Amino acid sequence: MKLRLTSAIIAGRSAAKLSRVCGNDGSSLPGMVARKLYPPALEELAGQVRRGIIVISGTNGKTTTANMITGMLQEAGFKVISNREGANMISGITTSFIMNSVTSGKIDCDYAVIETDEASIPEVLKNLSPKVVVLTNFFRDQLDRYWEMEKVIGVIRDALLGQSQATLVLNADDPLVAQFQDTTGLQSYFFGLAGDENSNKGSTSIREAKFCPFCSSALVYDYYHYGQLGAYSCPGCGFKRPRPQVEAVQSGGAAGDLSSYQLSCQGGTVPRENMEIQTRGLHNLYNALAAFSVGLQLDIDAQTILHSLKKYQPAIGRMERFKYGDKHAYLNLVKNPAGFDQGLRTLYEAQGTKDVFIALNDNFADSRDISWIWDVDFEILGADHQHLRRFMCSGLRGEDMALRLKYAGVPAEKIAVNADMRRAIKTSLSGSGGETYIFSTYTALRPVHKIVKSLVEKGAANDQGMSSVS
Amino acid sequence: MIKACHLYPDLLNLYGDRGNVMAFQKRCQWRNIPVQIINKSLGDPMDFGKYDFVFLGGGSDREQNLITADLLKHRDQFKQAVENGLVVLAICGGYQLLGRYYATGDGRHIPGLDILDLYTRAGGARLVGNTVIEMKQDGAPVKVVGFENHAGQTYLGSVKPLGKVLYGKGNNGRDGLEGARYKNVFCSYLHGPLLPKNARFTDKLIKLSLRRRGIDQDLQPLDDVFEERARITLLGRLGLKVN
Repeated sequence: MKLRLTSAIIAGRSAAKLSRVCGNDGSSLPGMVARKLYPPALEELAGQVRRGIIVISGTNGKTTTANMITGMLQEAGFKVISNREGANMISGITTSFIMNSVTSGKIDCDYAVIETDEASIPEVLKNLSPKVVVLTNFFRDQLDRYWEMEKVIGVIRDALLGQSQATLVLNADDPLVAQFQDTTGLQSYFFGLAGDENSNKGSTSIREAKFCPFCSSALVYDYYHYGQLGAYSCPGCGFKRPRPQVEAVQSGGAAGDLSSYQLSCQGGTVPRENMEIQTRGLHNLYNALAAFSVGLQLDIDAQTILHSLKKYQPAIGRMERFKYGDKHAYLNLVKNPAGFDQGLRTLYEAQGTKDVFIALNDNFADSRDISWIWDVDFEILGADHQHLRRFMCSGLRGEDMALRLKYAGVPAEKIAVNADMRRAIKTSLSGSGGETYIFSTYTALRPVHKIVKSLVEKGAANDQGMSSVS
Repeated sequence: MIKACHLYPDLLNLYGDRGNVMAFQKRCQWRNIPVQIINKSLGDPMDFGKYDFVFLGGGSDREQNLITADLLKHRDQFKQAVENGLVVLAICGGYQLLGRYYATGDGRHIPGLDILDLYTRAGGARLVGNTVIEMKQDGAPVKVVGFENHAGQTYLGSVKPLGKVLYGKGNNGRDGLEGARYKNVFCSYLHGPLLPKNARFTDKLIKLSLRRRGIDQDLQPLDDVFEERARITLLGRLGLKVN
């Protein structure tokens, strides 16, 4: 048996080398080859993880949450393996384990932190038997692939039914996630964000989860933060937002790069804490709350968790900050209406004038149907565009993006399309606005990131040149 | 004043189809044609005789079932308004709903509103992808672009198709037809959304709606550079000529 695992690992690694020589990133081929040669490869490798595996899934926030958890476990002194973003289906996950093993088939680690695509959950759970499963949220995403969220949710529920060893860490504010406590019967731990005077009231603009997942009555929302995340209750059967064990009770405190929040924890050793993170936006607060909850579940000391969260640097394209000359630029990956709305809100709430760049692609990983941009609330920009200097649109469907902005009320003379991404980004970075916001869909992110980095470095070099002259 | 009714905007809200109502509204406003958008949902009273334009989008199965039950209560007045020239745009699930029935995989027939003579059958593989159809507008062929994404396969009875398929699958992947047309009712599987990129079609709907108000006039031309660029870029990518 071991011999077969060994040969699967060797074959997988050779495939990785070959794949890299051919210019691919080599994230899924090795896993695919190894599983073909020896189907139990992943299960056997995963079985060696000493303390347990944490699986993170949901629509938005998987990568950030996984990175935060990995950082926290490493801070606590554990050896952790994790999968890279974009390698979150079964082959990519297998690859991550292979690349962290020695040829004899041994893996030396305490924890594995694995983010997974929603549709891959059944196979991932079967092979990994995780100790903790985190579900972040469910929003509409990639409808040409996963046309109905309810079906996806059903598939995940069925997959979890076989995982009695697992504890769920669930977003209390999303009824689509919170329902998993009852539908799976698994031990569940909740995180959430309390409402305050800034929360939205009423429920007419809630797009998802209008109905109770148990009795189909219309859910009543006392407030919501964004999407359907808020305080809901069902007048039909009594299903309602569970009281979270970890709850951020106060938001909005921001000083410099840090956003700080008051945490209230139920029943634990840490009744009240101040949590600080270096990224903006409520969506990142949710990610930090999920990571914090997992830390408590794994008995990590609260101060260690908070310390590692404070150090956490956003991953590529998660409101990633750059400095171009003396102004800031933010790069944000957008994958679906809920995520794009959050990005626009962050832009909208920031002070000062801005330039905007958007790259819209329609490759398979972006969603081939670009209709979703019509579900994004660009109208908040159209209604208040005085502070917005120029919109540069690029990518395979830049023309569609420009059209969307026109119908959102942005004056046509402020909108330009340029298929030359480098020029388009340069124009946005050197625009007259005080800040530049860069949005990109998935398959445009790496090229956009590369261009931004090179322009930023060039800008820095020029600056130095200038200062030495003066 | 054009009265445009958006049916179940809170429930039938998949695939950015609300963009159709935005396009209709904006293109009226840019010409100073007064337009009122009336949102109607479950349990609301409806008065189809008073509307000039009705938009019906698609939703997921659960929403679709809820609204079928609700809309059946208004079926007769809806049908009557259609016979009297009400302008309707129905997309995807909304299109299927106007037909006689939807035949599920296990042979059950879910009744539709039976306003149009057509029916839909659950298909095997989903029909998904960019789509181009050729429509006749004022006698001339016009290429209309969009994105289809449907499991149901629709077959037309006595109603005409909206257009013929130049790229993609269309109603059922077999007969080369897309959508349906009956009097002033236009049905299609095309998302994209359909109206913003196909401005001539939008203007046709506006013109018909004005006519229902008793106003028969040519529309003031608009600057459609953005609309045309989006349409032409996709045509070019799919290897189709612009005209």
